[in-house]
Amino acid sequence: MPTNPGAHGEDGATNNKTSMTSNQASGPAASQPTDAKPTDTKPSDVKPADAKPSAAASTDETLNAHVKGGSGSVAGGAGKKNGGKRHWIWLLVAAVVVVALVFVFVVVRKPKSQEAQGRQADTVTIGLKLAPTNLDIRNQSGSALDQVLVGNVYEGIVTRDSNNKVIPSIAKSWEKSADGMSYTFHLNQGMVFSNGDKLDAHDVAWSIEELVKRGYHDAESMQNFKSATALDANTVRIDLTAPYANLLWTLTGRPGLVFDQKAQYDPKTQAVGSGPYTIAKFTPNDSITLKANPKYQGANKAKTKTVVLRYFGDDNAAVNALKSGDVQVLAPVTENLAEPFEKDSEHFTVSAGDDTDKYVLAMNSKGDKTGDKRVREAIRYGINHKELIASRGGADKPMGGPISSLDPGYQDLTGLYPYNQAKAKALMKEAGYTPDHPLELRLTYANTYGTELGDQLRSQLKAIGIDLKVNVVEFSTWLQDVYNNKDYDLSLVDHNESHDFSQWVNTMYYYNYDNAQVRDFYNKAMAASTDKERDGYLAQAAKQVSRDAPADWLFNYRITTAMRKGVKGFPLNLNQTLLPLYGVTYTQVGK
Amino acid sequence: MADAKSRNRRISGRGDASLAKKIAVVLRSLWARGEGKFALVVLALWLVVSLVSLVWTPQSLWTTDGYHVWAKPSAAHWLGTDGTGSDVFSWLMAGARTNLLIAVLAVALAGVLGMALTAAMVSRSAAVSGVAVVVVDALISIPTVLIALILAVPMGASVAVIVIACGIGYGLNLARIARPQALLAAGSDYVDSALANGASWFSVLMHHIMPNTMPTMTVQLSLSAGTAVLAESGLTYLGVGVPSGVPSWGHSLATSVKFIDVYPLTVLWPGLIVTVVVVALNVFGDALRDAVDPVANPALREVA
Repeated sequence: MPTNPGAHGEDGATNNKTSMTSNQASGPAASQPTDAKPTDTKPSDVKPADAKPSAAASTDETLNAHVKGGSGSVAGGAGKKNGGKRHWIWLLVAAVVVVALVFVFVVVRKPKSQEAQGRQADTVTIGLKLAPTNLDIRNQSGSALDQVLVGNVYEGIVTRDSNNKVIPSIAKSWEKSADGMSYTFHLNQGMVFSNGDKLDAHDVAWSIEELVKRGYHDAESMQNFKSATALDANTVRIDLTAPYANLLWTLTGRPGLVFDQKAQYDPKTQAVGSGPYTIAKFTPNDSITLKANPKYQGANKAKTKTVVLRYFGDDNAAVNALKSGDVQVLAPVTENLAEPFEKDSEHFTVSAGDDTDKYVLAMNSKGDKTGDKRVREAIRYGINHKELIASRGGADKPMGGPISSLDPGYQDLTGLYPYNQAKAKALMKEAGYTPDHPLELRLTYANTYGTELGDQLRSQLKAIGIDLKVNVVEFSTWLQDVYNNKDYDLSLVDHNESHDFSQWVNTMYYYNYDNAQVRDFYNKAMAASTDKERDGYLAQAAKQVSRDAPADWLFNYRITTAMRKGVKGFPLNLNQTLLPLYGVTYTQVGK
Repeated sequence: MADAKSRNRRISGRGDASLAKKIAVVLRSLWARGEGKFALVVLALWLVVSLVSLVWTPQSLWTTDGYHVWAKPSAAHWLGTDGTGSDVFSWLMAGARTNLLIAVLAVALAGVLGMALTAAMVSRSAAVSGVAVVVVDALISIPTVLIALILAVPMGASVAVIVIACGIGYGLNLARIARPQALLAAGSDYVDSALANGASWFSVLMHHIMPNTMPTMTVQLSLSAGTAVLAESGLTYLGVGVPSGVPSWGHSLATSVKFIDVYPLTVLWPGLIVTVVVVALNVFGDALRDAVDPVANPALREVA
């Protein structure tokens, strides 16, 4: 299930590489005095030049010199006595203005920067895009909730690092039985929830049992689950009915979160967790204020007292907030909109982080036109991924298969169907279509992704004999037509989940893809006893999927984050689903 | 009956003969006015560009160059390129014909609907006129945007949504504004005498009542055309207007407005065009009112 289509920026494109020399680089402080000087000193400077043609008509040098120096700038014929006086008045005014300006810059501005420099801010404000509608992480879907709560307010039994690898959290270590059927976790000691309750193995076991028993969000990903038992106060064992190679990673998400079984609170607006932050204020669709949890005992103690998350539906408003200093970080920022910040490298840093978003151009494997493998292959050969990525600003990565570089089983498959118009045309001709007799196909996708991708695909596929009708629809229409009824030729979705290869073995999924060998590889991978074995099988499965061309992977979307200079510890990778904020600090630098 | 028919034929025959002359007089007096000149030039340009775009645009609409997106104006791209690398000028040219089509269809629909409703509202049957008045008054309170949003649910984004929504919205307005004049005509002595002479109510409606509402109608329709252009931009921006891939000014605006901070120029062009055209249509309406009114335009009296 694409829980979050259009999760992140979808917008069109820019070429940021045009290295415009920095008119902003000099900065406001530097430019202002230089700007001010010529205008302020103008009266005295301009006078002689003005006076020359009108008044200095004489050939007598001394007379001319006299006229030059004496004539007032306004009243040319007002007489020399008067003019002389005005000259001094103007000079005086100019001098006062210059001195005043210098005073402003030296006296007023400097202390400000001295005061700000080197002092760490108490509050860091972060601009995000997708807002959670409530805080009920057990029942409410959407990656916006994982982003703010997991690792910040609630902690899992284990968690992930920025490379999507499992690392300790509430459990400091674990071991797996030889048959892969049971996992024993050894917990940290002395942990408490933010309400003061003790956190021990009973809370952990209870949380996992509850999840499965009550079918909370994501419970279905706990495959082959049998039981979770507290062996003693600091040890938990999870038993499975069959080996499941994804278990540990699954526990880094919602299924592994540990809740206080005694706490009474409204989970929609409040949260009681064991993380480094507590929820101080929650305004739906607007902002969430996190305060450092004073009772927190773990290793990830919050470095900044208050972190405010502000949500911007509108890209322009978000960019303006970063410009004006209302927020110090913006994630994600549409690559094209980031251009002004990239140019102003004195005050901002712009960087892209890896993520697991796959822009999947699904081709209905059982469609009456796309059922023909030659057509699907032609489409893959006919798409110029480099151009697509360039038009989006160049941050994204090409990908040739269903597994992104941060997921197990990744290998570079971009060589399988490289951009080759001639080959694409030949395949289309074989299938009976030419640019003069094009094949008509519908591309249906949700309007969250903008129209640019559709327009570009239409343009690219036109060359190989495909007349693409682009249907940009509401997400609900997409769900109905494409996802549920599978009534589509081509579709486009940003599948942003990690470890989501299972969608290619689900024959009921909207891809209509069915390959027994892929299913076999996948099952072997899930039953594998080592990660290496698992990754090997997954890689083989992915290669087979890519060969069958049930989809084209347009690119691996990477999140562009723009922040003020002086922000440290903000995670760049995966920050739309996992945003650990304990290390974030802001120290104002420069002016 | 036969007598009445032949008289009607005579009247309409004379009307056709003088219609061309009347139009010529109206155009001349429009041209004589400064704002009329401006409006005529803009509208003529709109028509010409629309026709030319059918056979020629500087660049093919479906050529996208992803390596040169948001390019600055150049010899190859007169107004630069947009976010997909398409030529902005070509899209604006092609957009002219979509907007012209929308304006014409919306005005036609509004005109037909407006006249039908006006006729109903001055009907001699008290029940029909009473119901019509209530219906018009009730429906007029529904904003055009809302009608469009409701229509877009089953129809999706399409030109038809804009045309129907605008047609309904402006048709209701039209009927509301034309009603007093139609009522005045309906109660006049010449209508009474025509009826006494055996003319049918329909022919009276066509030949006496409707012509009396014409000055108001033409002005109102001209304003509606301008509002339809605005509505296209607004609705397309909201995502219920023209579908993706159909060139229109609203489409050009909607795709570029996301980047107004970084590439303000691309928003400026479609915005400027929409503004100029809407101003021209509004001014045209004002000028037309004076030009087609025999009281205000003595030249017209001479032709008639």
